[in-house]
Amino acid sequence: MCFLLTPLDKVSTPLWLKKKNTLVFVSSAVVMNFKIRAATKEDCKDISRMIMELAVYVKMPDQVKISHEELQRDGFCQNPFFECLVAEIPKEHKSKEGFTVVGYVLYFYTYSTRKGSTVYLEDLYVMPEFRGNGIGTGLLSKVAEVAKKKKQCVQLQLSVFDWNTPSRDFYAAKGAQDLTDTEGWHFICFDGQNLDNLANGAPKD
Amino acid sequence: MASFILRRAEPKDVSDILRLIKELAKFEEMEEKVILTEKELLEDGFGDHPFYHCLVAEVPKEQSSEEYTVIGFAMYYFTYDPWIGKLLYLEDFFVMQEFRGLGIGSEILRRLSETAVKTRCSSMHFIVAENNTKSIEFYKRRGAADLSSEEGWRLFEIDKADLLKMTSK
Repeated sequence: MCFLLTPLDKVSTPLWLKKKNTLVFVSSAVVMNFKIRAATKEDCKDISRMIMELAVYVKMPDQVKISHEELQRDGFCQNPFFECLVAEIPKEHKSKEGFTVVGYVLYFYTYSTRKGSTVYLEDLYVMPEFRGNGIGTGLLSKVAEVAKKKKQCVQLQLSVFDWNTPSRDFYAAKGAQDLTDTEGWHFICFDGQNLDNLANGAPKD
Repeated sequence: MASFILRRAEPKDVSDILRLIKELAKFEEMEEKVILTEKELLEDGFGDHPFYHCLVAEVPKEQSSEEYTVIGFAMYYFTYDPWIGKLLYLEDFFVMQEFRGLGIGSEILRRLSETAVKTRCSSMHFIVAENNTKSIEFYKRRGAADLSSEEGWRLFEIDKADLLKMTSK
């Protein structure tokens, strides 16, 4: 339930170029191609690695109890417990350690007795050296698109620690509402037009 | 002493489930936020890929002063924590006022714990509004831990040890 993203306002004069299968984000410094795609079984090692990076960041690495094998079992069985998208970059931009899978979003479907079918964003993470390139936005938008097309979800929810200002700002900028102001907890919701807008901004396949 | 049964909800129960959802929302002072219809509840819970599971509590007709016999429900589904795996998430849990204090809520929670353990869940999660002190006390008495006391929200967890305790009672 932790989200590590930096707001896109760090990059000036963004210019979006659409190419087949990729969304190219041009900044004043760097050209970064990335692709958002459904995770495969083989991605579980990378996803586990990034789950641990996230846990280390929030100083709770000992709380991670499941292995990449369990993740594989639970996400790629007949009735999976979650779905996952990954962000992949070309080999020439690989990370210092040689990784090309540099971000992920893990989500599942829940139900609100007020509004109905909901997609719940459990984890959204981009490796620090690849932030500021639109990857987080790409992952988020793609989830919204998938949820709307596949399950006709009426809202997207997630939760953010109240100290995590960059992430709260990131979601607020996309039309999210903090449902906790009056009720004592923090839940973030995208519904109606905001969800449509998010889905319409998703990178094309 | 009221006798009651707990059973899995069936399609015919959607009208009662919606009525109870609205009663719970009224208690939370958010009744107008319930926009779900019976048709949606039916499709979403009893179609090919249900979004939720539901238990209902039923009493014999002669014990109910109203025409209803379904007097409580719990709606839940399975979620996933990338750190610990499968979880059972309790979305709504409600017993009509005149049927409280009879062990119905406790039995529902016990049955849910049993389900959680059988399906290999690491934990049962739910959220409770801060001002709902009665519910908070109900859960804490049963070993629930407040995961959010420092962060400004209330997220309750019942871990495996306490789940097992509840299933053996």
